[in-house]
Amino acid sequence: MAEERRFRSASGVPITLRRRQHSASCRELAVRGPRLQLRSLSAATSAVWLAAYGLFALSENSMVLSAAIFITLIGLMIYLHFVKIDQESLLVIGSLGIQVTSSYASGKESTVFIEMGQVKDVVINEAIHMQKVIYYLCILLQDPEDPQGISEVVPLFQSSKPRLDCLIEVYKSCQEILEQRKTAPQSNEIK
Amino acid sequence: ENSPAPLPERAIYGFALFLGSWFGFILYLIWAYIPETWLFSLGLTYWPQKYWAVALPVYLLVAVGIGYILLFGMNMMSTAPLNSTDTITDNFAKKQQQKKFQEEAIPALRDIPISEVNRMFFLPEKGLCQSR
Repeated sequence: MAEERRFRSASGVPITLRRRQHSASCRELAVRGPRLQLRSLSAATSAVWLAAYGLFALSENSMVLSAAIFITLIGLMIYLHFVKIDQESLLVIGSLGIQVTSSYASGKESTVFIEMGQVKDVVINEAIHMQKVIYYLCILLQDPEDPQGISEVVPLFQSSKPRLDCLIEVYKSCQEILEQRKTAPQSNEIK
Repeated sequence: ENSPAPLPERAIYGFALFLGSWFGFILYLIWAYIPETWLFSLGLTYWPQKYWAVALPVYLLVAVGIGYILLFGMNMMSTAPLNSTDTITDNFAKKQQQKKFQEEAIPALRDIPISEVNRMFFLPEKGLCQSR
């Protein structure tokens, strides 16, 4: 079963949260940001080409125009492949682990898997980020020596930065699955 | 003993500094404005170059302007990044003592772990704090 809701990101752009329940202990939460808009692409391309034409008018060197075309093309490819993240998803499988996937606009996907033994908790933390205080969801990793300690913090949804209402939905879904591992017997420890 | 109240010694120090700074300022103006030939004719020949009469104030003002930007930048650099454990806890919170809970007494002050705080804020349980 899947459901989709609209929210806003920290900077105000509309994002959607899609929640799918694959089984009783497996849930997938995907935050999808807006696609690359035609108007911003045209604005950036026109700005670069106008600047190049201005340079050409000053310097009478036609290499400036070809260089501008190359820069625009290569810049667009780099942006789509390395910078523009379309969808970030969180797959929580109780007793197995958590998988975080980022899908870029060019189709590339990068995934990180954290096994459940290392996960201490999934919490909503507040921190200072670029002159603002933002809420962000993060996975706390267990410290092997100290049962109360936290060895690492893995922030989630870094590029779409949902607001608190969306984060609360994701938090509640994750906690429902994480609570099951406290009540389930410790039968699957492989040492 | 260490009060900031006015004392006679402090009045004297203040007045001496006031006279000294006025003297320094008049000396600076004399050195900057009076032509070198007049100073030579008086016998005072060993002065720094007049270039410095303009250069030093300019250096000072540019340093003040850069200081603003530097302070802002250092502030941003020393803010903990989003993936550091400094946003969750620190040494004092890790080593705090757990006092025993006593009935009818105000609970001791302590750092509450973030998991507990989150559960209290974001997982509403059917309890006493239903405000709707």
